Amino acid sequence: MDDPFHRPVFVSAVVYKDPMAALDWLEKAFGFERVMLITDKDGNLAHSEMKFGEGQIMVGTEWTDYVASPASAGGRNTQSIHVHLADGIDAHCERAKAAGAVIVRELADQFYGDRTYSARDPEGHVWSFGQTTKKVSREDAEKASGLKIEGWH
Amino acid sequence: MNSRVIVSLRVAAAPLRAFEVFTQDIGRWWQPNELFHFTPRSPGRIALEPGEGGRFTETLANGKVFEIGRVTEWQPGVRLALTWRQATFAPDQSTHVEVLFEPVGDETRITVTHTGWDSVPQDHVARHSFPDGLFLRRHAEWWQQLLAAFRVRLTP
Repeated sequence: MDDPFHRPVFVSAVVYKDPMAALDWLEKAFGFERVMLITDKDGNLAHSEMKFGEGQIMVGTEWTDYVASPASAGGRNTQSIHVHLADGIDAHCERAKAAGAVIVRELADQFYGDRTYSARDPEGHVWSFGQTTKKVSREDAEKASGLKIEGWH
Repeated sequence: MNSRVIVSLRVAAAPLRAFEVFTQDIGRWWQPNELFHFTPRSPGRIALEPGEGGRFTETLANGKVFEIGRVTEWQPGVRLALTWRQATFAPDQSTHVEVLFEPVGDETRITVTHTGWDSVPQDHVARHSFPDGLFLRRHAEWWQQLLAAFRVRLTP
């Protein structure tokens, strides 16, 4: 049987000044689902996990000095998470917009066959979302982009 | 008194059916934890009597019945709540479990919220010398195992 709480190899910890608000917002905007939340005796978030398909993130606080929300770092992201959808990219983008996500790259077809968009959340994390909508050969992708491509899928 | 452990899982069943399997079949899907036991003679057979005031019990191998707690809310298909004490708890120590059954499309999201661990002091035997954060994390992982086993029982 498949384990519903199976942990993927890569799990990103995403840092927020207000992680409780982030849990709600990420569910409303992107459809991520909270699977675990632990609060301490003062009611502050101690640990949390969200899932989306087979993917997983941890949503955490600025718990030590080497982590920061973009909201504390002039809006800069030092890492960004890309989420690959099986279907429904257009509806996903609409849902994100309706929840107040700021679209930083509009939904568009890319030369490599994916349809993608990027959106900024309330604390400045930029998330990108994509769905493969067309099978593109390496030759066509090279021609369209002018790039030399190795390791094409 | 604000520490909480919250674990959610979506299951492919209607809320009422999920509630029925959760409560009636609890002895069939329950998984004892290697570390956290209700009594020194655990594990035994877990059972839940229906309705508010119903007993949440563990029947041990020697036939003795330990009352873990009582049902404090019974709303079939919507919400279940119960109290949860270990045999080593002092009278003023008690925890509380709430289980929500929330429809999401054709499915049901089960959310377990376990509170009240603040009433159990840091040096209590039930905490196994874990720092608070780690103790709560271990408990959350147990709830994940429990809900995973419940899902298998519900949708084999």
